[in-house]
Amino acid sequence: MNQQPDMPVNSGERAALRAQVDSLTAQLTEEHKMASIGRLLASIVHEINSPIGSILSNNQVIIRSLEVIQQAVVSGEHAGLEKARRAVETCLSLAGVDKIACERISEVVRGLKTFARVDSSELRKVNVNEQLQNTLKLTHGEFHRRIVVETDFGELPPVECHQHLLNQVFLNILVNAGQAIEGEGTITVRTRRENGWAHISISDTGHGIKPEDRPKIFAGGFTTKAVGVGTGLGLSISKKIIEETHGGSLDFDSEPGVGTTFHVRIPLEQRKPAAG
Amino acid sequence: MGTNKNGTVLIVDDEEMVITSVRAYLQLETDYEVHGFTAPEEAVKHLENHLIDIAVSDYLMPRMSGIQLLTRARQLQPEASRVLLTGHADKQSAIQAINEVGLYQYIEKPWENAQLLLIIQHGIERARLLRELREKVAELDTAHSSLKNVQKRLLQAFL
Repeated sequence: MNQQPDMPVNSGERAALRAQVDSLTAQLTEEHKMASIGRLLASIVHEINSPIGSILSNNQVIIRSLEVIQQAVVSGEHAGLEKARRAVETCLSLAGVDKIACERISEVVRGLKTFARVDSSELRKVNVNEQLQNTLKLTHGEFHRRIVVETDFGELPPVECHQHLLNQVFLNILVNAGQAIEGEGTITVRTRRENGWAHISISDTGHGIKPEDRPKIFAGGFTTKAVGVGTGLGLSISKKIIEETHGGSLDFDSEPGVGTTFHVRIPLEQRKPAAG
Repeated sequence: MGTNKNGTVLIVDDEEMVITSVRAYLQLETDYEVHGFTAPEEAVKHLENHLIDIAVSDYLMPRMSGIQLLTRARQLQPEASRVLLTGHADKQSAIQAINEVGLYQYIEKPWENAQLLLIIQHGIERARLLRELREKVAELDTAHSSLKNVQKRLLQAFL
């Protein structure tokens, strides 16, 4: 009697639809992650262009310096030795620069790698402080000229989680925090252990969230940002990742003109799915 | 104040490594005097007190952008050539900059040393020609006004 047309009735059909929804959600989450990284791409490129430029230039100078040294060694003349001595000094100093440049590039690459989808279904025990550090490497280029990032990492035991999903949430909150700050400001990342939970808070000194917008910010498709700046999906996806996937909580407090703090709380260990 | 007889280069980048690399290369290939700064404010101070032939600046820097710095350079030393060295993928703002600041050249990071050298050589030459031109114009002005004076005195003597 109350059976409506076009509505699935049998449990098999329902399960199939559920699976379809789950797979679309996963796809959306993945696409949102790529979009976030895409938006940071210009500053990531900038971040590695300087060290690459330096390394290429230094390589040329070092080769020329080595030629000078070689000539001095072959001729054995005293005048050449002084030039060779200076060339050795140049090589040593540039080798030092190259080392710093390579470290900078690898830091950015390490940051990107934490977003590579290893095995999404696998839960691992990860060092959350280290993950935050890696995620901050990606925003460094975007932030470091106008925003000071302060970290206050407490001692945290390894947290059982889906690492790349968690990083996606961190990146999302950090990018939002950066966008909330007009001009110069500070972002503070703090971690604490609270009994069986890890509490990660990310605060910004930005413009804050207006009281009328607060109830809507976790709703999909809500944004106060200009077209092309935000998708309006970041926080709704983040909430899903923290609350549904990890059994944690995501909330915030905000004061207009003062700033916003987002609180991520997740259990140190995931509950084993009950049998049946 | 005068510039080094071979040329004086100002290079500003908040990355120390860029300054070190460019300086090492220029020292190897040229006899230019190179002044490097990681803080744009210090570069402005230098510009206020020392004559340079060319300013090469990064685009994105804390507190002051390359555009702001080069605008100051234009006010302080209009003849010095201005070059933007940028790793920023945003071409639009670079083009805007070229028009606003009257850039001599725009180089993208990672840069090509040979290209950078050529730009610096030509930039120095250009700055020196402009300065020379200004001096000649000033000389002409002086000559012109003293001629006028002579003419005035002549007229007074004969009339």
